[in-house]
Amino acid sequence: MSANPVMTDVARERSSALPAAPAGPDGAAAVKRAGDPQLAEIATELGAALARRMHPDGSALARPGDSEPAVDATVWSALALRVSGGPAAPETLAAAQAIARLQSDDGRVSISPLHPGGYSPTSISVLAWHGVPELAPARKRAIDFLLTHSGDHFLRDPASPLGMDTTLAGWPWIDRTFSWAEPTALALLALAAAGESEHPRAQMGRAMLIDRQIAGGGWNYGNAEVFGTELRPAPESTGLVLCALAGHFPAAKLDASLAYLGKETTALRTPLALGWCSLAMAAWNPRRGEQEAGLALAIRETLAREARYGGYETADLALLSVAAQAPAGLLAALASTQQSGRSGRRP
Amino acid sequence: MKREWLVERRFSRRELLAGGAMAAIASGAALIGCRPDRRPRVAVARAASYSVDLEPILRRAFTEIGITPGAVAGKRILLKPNLVETATGAGHINTHPEVVRAVAKALRAFGAAEVLVGEGPGHRRDTLLVLEESGLAQVLVDEKLRFVDLNRQRGFAVANAGRRSGLVRLTLPVVLSEVDWIVSLAKLKTHHWAGATLAMKNLFGIMPGSYYGWPKNVLHYAGLQESILDINATVRPQFAVIDGIVGMEGDGPIMGTAKTAGVVIVGSNLPAVDASAARVMGIDPRGIRYLAAADGWLGPIAEDAILQVGETLASVRTPFELVAKIPAQKALLDRQSGAGY
Repeated sequence: MSANPVMTDVARERSSALPAAPAGPDGAAAVKRAGDPQLAEIATELGAALARRMHPDGSALARPGDSEPAVDATVWSALALRVSGGPAAPETLAAAQAIARLQSDDGRVSISPLHPGGYSPTSISVLAWHGVPELAPARKRAIDFLLTHSGDHFLRDPASPLGMDTTLAGWPWIDRTFSWAEPTALALLALAAAGESEHPRAQMGRAMLIDRQIAGGGWNYGNAEVFGTELRPAPESTGLVLCALAGHFPAAKLDASLAYLGKETTALRTPLALGWCSLAMAAWNPRRGEQEAGLALAIRETLAREARYGGYETADLALLSVAAQAPAGLLAALASTQQSGRSGRRP
Repeated sequence: MKREWLVERRFSRRELLAGGAMAAIASGAALIGCRPDRRPRVAVARAASYSVDLEPILRRAFTEIGITPGAVAGKRILLKPNLVETATGAGHINTHPEVVRAVAKALRAFGAAEVLVGEGPGHRRDTLLVLEESGLAQVLVDEKLRFVDLNRQRGFAVANAGRRSGLVRLTLPVVLSEVDWIVSLAKLKTHHWAGATLAMKNLFGIMPGSYYGWPKNVLHYAGLQESILDINATVRPQFAVIDGIVGMEGDGPIMGTAKTAGVVIVGSNLPAVDASAARVMGIDPRGIRYLAAADGWLGPIAEDAILQVGETLASVRTPFELVAKIPAQKALLDRQSGAGY
């Protein structure tokens, strides 16, 4: 195979028999889906589970038995449908339109009408609207919103105990607060899908994430060091950030973090961390047979634990569904379904 | 709905205070012709390790502060442990699962209608992974305790009863409107921003990350100390248990080192509980800004304004290491040298 310039030695070893992945329109690898039957079956089951939590108008409940739909559940269900059904499927359109009904005039999609500052669902909405012609104007407004909004940033006080460059602006969880790793990574994924990877805001967002990388590898919520002490990474944060950085940095810059990802992912059996870490693994090293089977087993074991928590969040099930159907990562899955118009997994 | 929630919580609070008064009477104060001592009670109990049977220790402590079967019977009770993050060999970051188990069992033995557990970690979005790695997930399964991820629950807005920060309203997870009591199950730890994190600071984890971010950055922008006061003034937990069997000293709340104090600290007035806990750590509570601000408003912190039961503070005092380069802890060190702590 030809060497992927951003792949670590560890990842390269794992993928030694993989064919080279052609670069997609956003730098992501547009790889034909392997169609692993176990993952296809899981995707079908997850699709059915999500459908049971969705209303005919495309909105979704956060949990079974909830009385009213939730924004987070709706945008994530829409993204899962977008990946599984492609942009032309009727259910994709219904879910995409449900998000559009939540969008504010300035382009944002907020976590609730009472909390317009919680605009992180905007990024997922951009991904869910990707390639859906009817929602192109809404998507454009959302992208413009992301490009014109940032987390708080300021000159660092020389006496500050924070070991970070506070002038670098990414995106916050909540408007008018600081930039943190995960909402920045979500916004970067949205901008990448929109072809804005080289926008100055995207470049600064990536610089911010690199600045927040923990020296020993990985990311947490976005704080690498305080009072001279290196803080600990978290798998779910690391997976999401590495999804956003795939294709943009050489392996040497991220080697420790990719090693951390590889070490952690194997044992994960909770949907949020497993979902993001498996998507990151796939983005850096498209899955093949053995990895597909491994992910299928991990998702099965994760789903087997659902009862102990009284049901997983719809957003987390949707994330798992996306992960199951994205053998080359999230952006590649969106790109490939845009090209083919439908998923290779959905029966 | 909002007002109903507050009225209901006030009623429960009154019930609790009535229970405390009854306990004081039963303890003999009335029999010898004295007026009942109305100072808030804080019980300190020894527990050498997490392998001892903690339930009878806690039941005794509950009774000593007026949490009696009569007060507990029929109540739906939310336990709020302190779960921040996990790391191999760093179990002292979080409220130990055995403490959660023992409190749940004790409250059930007292007749609670339901005990559930809820937390919204400030650093971690995968709350379930924190549960699994901390060992609490297994306790939830063993004891059939329902868990609520407070970070992701739908919220409801209430007026900020404290108004120390600039926040006019607070958005709380809806489970708070469904329970009768809230119990802060905190950890005995130093903290690099607040000086110490105890029962009051533990309530940060109640605020949903969906609305306040990870970390709960809206609250930091509104003022850490002020937000602690506002949350406590608004939520008003019925009582608190601090896990000081193994706490954390130094660069807490996550990077400090384990410190064995061998105690659990229990009380229904959270500033009083925190003040006693600080004294166990060798810290002058007046040096902790939110405690000093709570004094005389949310509760007393002066030693003679608190009725200490169980072990004496002097007998269990275990000085926790403070780090001079951390300003919030330097202030506490300065007070130690000045006040003989």
